[in-house]
Amino acid sequence: MERRSFLGLIGSALGLTAFGTMAYPLIRYLAPPKPKLQKGRQSFSKTDIGDAKEIVYQQTPTIIINRPGKGYIALARVCTHLGCLIEYDRDKKRLVCPCHAGMFDLEGRVISGPPPEPLLTFPLRVEGEEITIG
Amino acid sequence: MWQKLKDGIDHRIGLNELIDSKLREYRVPGDTNIFYTVGIVTVVAYMIQAVTGYFLLMYYIPHPDHAFQSIQDIMTVIPYGWFIRMIHIVAANLMVALVFIHLVSIFFMGNYKKPREMTWLAGGVLLLITLAFCLSGYLLPWSQRSYWATTIVTNIPTAFPVIGDFAVTILRGGDSVSGVTLTRFFSLHVGFLPPLFLSIMGLHIFLVWRIGLSVPPSSPSAKEQKPWTGYAKVNYSKSYPFYPDFVLKESSMILLFLTVTFLIMSFLPTLFLPETATTPADPLRTPPDIKPEWYFLAPYQMLKVIPNKFLGICIQLIAIVVFMLWPWIDSGDERNISKRPVLLTLFLLLAVLWIVLTFWGRYS
Amino acid sequence: MRYISFLVVVIILAAALPSSAGYRELFEKEFLSKPWGAEITEESACLECHTSDVMTIELQQIPVDWKASWHYQNNVSCDDCHGGDSGDATMAMSHQRSFIGKPQHADIPDFCGKCHIGILKNYIESGHGKALKATGEGPNCVTCHGSHNIQKVNIDIINAQRCSQCHSYDRAKIIKQALFLTDKKIEKIENDLEMLKKKGVYAHTEVMTLFDTQAKFRSLFHTIDVSVIRDKTYYFTKKLDEIEKNLQETFQQLSFRKKFSTFLMLLFACTWIAVSLISKSRKD
Repeated sequence: MERRSFLGLIGSALGLTAFGTMAYPLIRYLAPPKPKLQKGRQSFSKTDIGDAKEIVYQQTPTIIINRPGKGYIALARVCTHLGCLIEYDRDKKRLVCPCHAGMFDLEGRVISGPPPEPLLTFPLRVEGEEITIG
Repeated sequence: MWQKLKDGIDHRIGLNELIDSKLREYRVPGDTNIFYTVGIVTVVAYMIQAVTGYFLLMYYIPHPDHAFQSIQDIMTVIPYGWFIRMIHIVAANLMVALVFIHLVSIFFMGNYKKPREMTWLAGGVLLLITLAFCLSGYLLPWSQRSYWATTIVTNIPTAFPVIGDFAVTILRGGDSVSGVTLTRFFSLHVGFLPPLFLSIMGLHIFLVWRIGLSVPPSSPSAKEQKPWTGYAKVNYSKSYPFYPDFVLKESSMILLFLTVTFLIMSFLPTLFLPETATTPADPLRTPPDIKPEWYFLAPYQMLKVIPNKFLGICIQLIAIVVFMLWPWIDSGDERNISKRPVLLTLFLLLAVLWIVLTFWGRYS
Repeated sequence: MRYISFLVVVIILAAALPSSAGYRELFEKEFLSKPWGAEITEESACLECHTSDVMTIELQQIPVDWKASWHYQNNVSCDDCHGGDSGDATMAMSHQRSFIGKPQHADIPDFCGKCHIGILKNYIESGHGKALKATGEGPNCVTCHGSHNIQKVNIDIINAQRCSQCHSYDRAKIIKQALFLTDKKIEKIENDLEMLKKKGVYAHTEVMTLFDTQAKFRSLFHTIDVSVIRDKTYYFTKKLDEIEKNLQETFQQLSFRKKFSTFLMLLFACTWIAVSLISKSRKD
């Protein structure tokens, strides 16, 4: 009997530890990490931006463009094809990717080339002379 | 305090009498081998799937644009998300293996014969539901493997002459695998199959419990056993109580199953995750070496080999019907397979054929 | 009951074999000739002619070369470069569909530069580009990369045999050396990403950042200007080191996962042994 109850004790102790160790991840899983850059905001003045400015917002290279007649827009510069950084072609009023000639209009939509999706847009507010992203 | 709680419940519902009559006095035949525990281990595997599946449901997004990334987020961003997902994958494959082992051991011991035919039929249905779980489940990550393996398998009904194309359109929700297929498989996997599985599993377990466990046909006490004449409370020549003895045996096998699960997770984490499973789906590009999962390799290879595909599928459907109705086809009394050389040979031939087809399908 | 089931089986077999002969032929022609899991690709008009026996051996070789190329792996096909209508055999080589046949030697940079605009810009400003423009001779894209069997880029495209046709190999060797270390870093990161993929992790951000960095780096080579390359190497190395750091963190995560799972496995193994012993001791 002694041996059996000793084994029983060990068995239960091990079993409880095992199931406890299994329960721990389940509990941790329920709380996702806060997105680190949730409240990142950046502000610029209109003169600072000019007709277009390349910035880095939330670790993503971004461009703020002052579109004639349509206002400001903040677009991520990462091409949705393979990740190259796109460039702004002022004359032709479009964004061009130097890697495989993907072309985007000033709304971020794909005009031609291999990119499968439009460019990521970031929320932007204009208050007087100040432009805020985020 | 624990004793007080138990006393209180016992006072109200007669808990002690319940435990005594249903668990302690319930007898298990004396010579049961470990295969008698495979059933309960399968139930535990299913429960693990249900729990991990529910947790995955919290962060998974069933839309082609987000499915793959949501799973990558579960794997890399959500704390211990990798743990939940990997258990779900490993336990899924192990559950299919357990179902096969359970099936083979029942067949081997002739435990599908009278009075257990309904149990066998319910079990057969459970096997099909398990395979449906697997099929619907592995489209959900929306990886290259998911997309193309599903395209192959959903192409199979095209072999039927008149209704084939229509059947495929229903399965896929369109001409090709798309977001509509994803949501439909998702609803099947999460909404329809679980309650169906649970109800038939409930029936299966009830039948096992009510009819009583069988005596292994090759054991010495089988000869002393009185022949079965109709429903009666079982009377074994040699037996031991279900609780705690058989429960201990079952617990030990469950723990072994968990050990194997974590063994695979630690040392072979990519056993069920080929490279194509970590590449997002690209409907324009078929990866060169796409194959179904291991449990589908044998039927897949067989269909590739038989020149007339309609015949191939018919053979498989007939095989499934024969399998389900086997207790009525093989209804003699002799359960001991060593006394039935014809059946033994047939069984071994089929087993070898299945293994050969699986390896052929894997390496062709 | 048994006779009925036997009859059903016989009927199905009978239906499968002779009675549907005409339907069966059509069905098998459509079905057997396509692989299982047929993706819905149409054979292009270009390939239909260029793989047939009416073509000369050289022209038949083109689709073979292309199918082995990196362009093929990325769904870039005949009409993407040569124009024409690949869905319609009558218009497949029509100038009304912007078809360009085999471009002239001096026109090749613009031909490839339709898509590879960044590289074209660097090339035109380079010694090679200027030589081609001035004299109509000199290395163009095909000289180094081939025309249809284009492979993923590799530093050994710069070698003694290729780069000594017009001048001594020394100049090319200096540039190769300037590229070497950065190229090795890129290679290491690519291998790490492959390994991570095999372990079930798809590092999307790192893949995209790597692509942009290596594309800029390799595009810069086409200026054939060692000082520019040396100048920018610091910037590229910094970016690549950042990527490598992120990947190393991921590897550490994977190692933690292994340890955690092993710990659980051992716990369950010991519990299993304890419970088995209890179970065995009760049997006696």
